Amino acid sequence: MIKVENLSVSYGNKTVLDSISLEIPTGTWTSIIGPNGAGKTTLLTSLLGMNPYSGSIKFGEIEAFRDLKRNIAYVPQRPQVPLGMTVREYVTLGRAKRDGWGRERREGKARVYETLEAMQLIGLQDQQVTRISGGELQRVLIARAIVQEPQIILMDEPTSALDLHHQIATLNQIELLKKEGITVLSTMHDITLGAMYAERIILMREGIVLLDGNSSSVIHSEELKSAFDHGISVHTLEDGHTVIVANKMRIEEI
Amino acid sequence: MSEIQLKPIWRWQWTLIAGIFLLIVCAVAITIGPVQIKTIEIIHTLLGRETTLSDQERSLLIEIRFPRVALAALVGAALATSGAVYQTVFRNPLADPYLLGAAAGAGLGATIAITVARADFYPSLPIFAFIGGILAVIATFLVAGRLYSDPGSLLLSGIAIGSFATAVQTFLQQRNSEVLRPVYSWILGELTVAEWSSVRWAALYIFIALGILFSVSKILDALMLSDEEAFSLGVSPNRIRIIAVCAATLATATAVSVSGLIGFVGIVVPHIVKRLTKKATNRALLAIALFGAAFLVLADLGARTLITPAEIPIGVITAFIGAPFFLFILRTRSKNL
Repeated sequence: MIKVENLSVSYGNKTVLDSISLEIPTGTWTSIIGPNGAGKTTLLTSLLGMNPYSGSIKFGEIEAFRDLKRNIAYVPQRPQVPLGMTVREYVTLGRAKRDGWGRERREGKARVYETLEAMQLIGLQDQQVTRISGGELQRVLIARAIVQEPQIILMDEPTSALDLHHQIATLNQIELLKKEGITVLSTMHDITLGAMYAERIILMREGIVLLDGNSSSVIHSEELKSAFDHGISVHTLEDGHTVIVANKMRIEEI
Repeated sequence: MSEIQLKPIWRWQWTLIAGIFLLIVCAVAITIGPVQIKTIEIIHTLLGRETTLSDQERSLLIEIRFPRVALAALVGAALATSGAVYQTVFRNPLADPYLLGAAAGAGLGATIAITVARADFYPSLPIFAFIGGILAVIATFLVAGRLYSDPGSLLLSGIAIGSFATAVQTFLQQRNSEVLRPVYSWILGELTVAEWSSVRWAALYIFIALGILFSVSKILDALMLSDEEAFSLGVSPNRIRIIAVCAATLATATAVSVSGLIGFVGIVVPHIVKRLTKKATNRALLAIALFGAAFLVLADLGARTLITPAEIPIGVITAFIGAPFFLFILRTRSKNL
């Protein structure tokens, strides 16, 4: 379990996260939603230990982000794609924490191979990572996270650069990870997709948590609408799925 | 595990080829000159065996040709390696000791040492050059701000800082006319007066700098990712960045102190090696150092033989090759490798 208590992060005079407390149970998928500037990405990078913070972040009983970081893999929204690196080399970087930089241990090699196979990337392994498509890159990033054998995966907008087909394929892949017992924490702009896959949703606005609960209760809450200044509407389809759409007229008013 | 057919990531064949190429180039460079000396005589001299060389030829070989080739190789290795490291650290294919202002800053540092502090030319010079170089790189980085990974922004701020440093350097030279000649001859390049003493201390600083760079070369992979990604992979990107930039600047500063301003080596060699090896520059750092050494030994050979008995400044040779190559990189950088 990840336990966050009174987490505050400031950049200069600006408070980006304000006394956030939450608990993320092991083996769950939690989606963080909220308008731009809510502090979603900062919350993720704070868990990585990137930002100086006050408060406490505990993984199990252990404080200190160093131990947390060892067990966390991170899938960025906008990765820096390096020149001169093949897909396999790029995925192998994920082994650095376990095997050392530039080292290829037998076990690590096997893990990379298995993962490339599982993510249907074997055919691309010798391709330059700069030359693959957006959907392929997303799979490669997830593969790089998997080879780290993490207990927690943090994903920043894992579907933002993908078409609908690849969004679903990627989310299905993440769901498999969750079934293996990995705790998934993702930020999602697409609330419909977030609610469809994650069992828990954390709703944030302006650095605070407005609501934290199961997906169904959060997306049907008034807090969700008010977080987006009532610029969204929630519709339940005949098959029971819920769809959240932007309310054009209201947004124009805002 | 026999079913796993994966090629190793770190391959050494290009390093081996670079090493052999360097040996051949050095042998040729030592042989050729106004006095031709056979390769076999060079080998015998190196091994301390009896030779048929006259005392004069032997002295020419040991006191002039050997140190000159050794110094060219050291400077070439330093400039090529530091260029490759700057390109990785700044995630910028056009980063180069000269374009970043590091060399001009080092030149200014050394000029201050000669004119103001009246420092002895050798061992202390690289220290002043290093301070000047590192300040110039920091200034370039700060001027470029958050756009440091944008080739154009870094290049423009590097040019501005470099021009400023050169202007101050020129001003200091004018104000201190009594040391104008030594400073000026040093700016043009000192390979012509290479001595074993300068080779020794240059080797000391350059080996320290390159040793540090080779030891962190594999972690430099992390700097090719975003800072968040590097952090999630257990690396503190800024710490590695500082170590790498300091070591690369020490190598550049030493090269500048010993040979004056020789441009484009740091951009031409890493890009050629990258095209040959199809590897990110930090993954071929040793090959880049060896090819850099060979490149400058060849350039120096050209400098002293093309219009004999006169010499062309070595910086002119590297610019003749480097400037068109630089334009080529500018045109093709969007095509990746």
